[in-house]
Amino acid sequence: MDNPNTLESVSPLSGHYSLKRDLRLNAWFMVAAAVAGAIAFLLKRHPEWSPLSRALLTLAPLIPGMLYVRDCMLFIRGMDELQRRIQMEAWLFAAMGTLILGTTVNTLSANGVSLGRLEHGFSLVGTFALTFSLWLVGTAIANCRYK
Amino acid sequence: MKNQLRELRTRKQWSQGELAEKLYVSRQTINAIETEKYDPSLPLAFKISRLFKLPIEEIFRTTD
Repeated sequence: MDNPNTLESVSPLSGHYSLKRDLRLNAWFMVAAAVAGAIAFLLKRHPEWSPLSRALLTLAPLIPGMLYVRDCMLFIRGMDELQRRIQMEAWLFAAMGTLILGTTVNTLSANGVSLGRLEHGFSLVGTFALTFSLWLVGTAIANCRYK
Repeated sequence: MKNQLRELRTRKQWSQGELAEKLYVSRQTINAIETEKYDPSLPLAFKISRLFKLPIEEIFRTTD
């Protein structure tokens, strides 16, 4: 039986890194990023393409994206009970933090407070970056708690 | 919850990593149980009990 999955096993600098596990977790993410990059490049170069084909191409990275989500779920399922609890706490922290910050920014904006680039709330990339940053913070807090 | 895991493990001269492998958990989990920062689930408590051939209540005790 393999050892349970841990974040250390997919962190290259941890000293417990496993390329096999990293690929098992992140391969579809890399495919999704490559497909999204290629499609963005193509759509910029071919403005004459029909709206339908543009929509289909824009949505294409969702397929590897969903496979990545499946791999994330399998990875978490392969963790031991404490690691799963840490991840649950970290994701809850990230999700609630994103929700609260997003709502706060929108409320401030709706009440006439000037927020510069955040005037229309977080962009898609901004939301992902915020969630990921909060997940890192949540993981660090939970890890400290059970160290 | 109090537990005797560290004493039992050192009696067997196992490292935390070795015990973690036997129980199919991470070393962090063993450490968190030994330092009483984390109470294991019932299935894991049963695994520990079987591994050390001791009843659960001899390994884990409630504080109240």
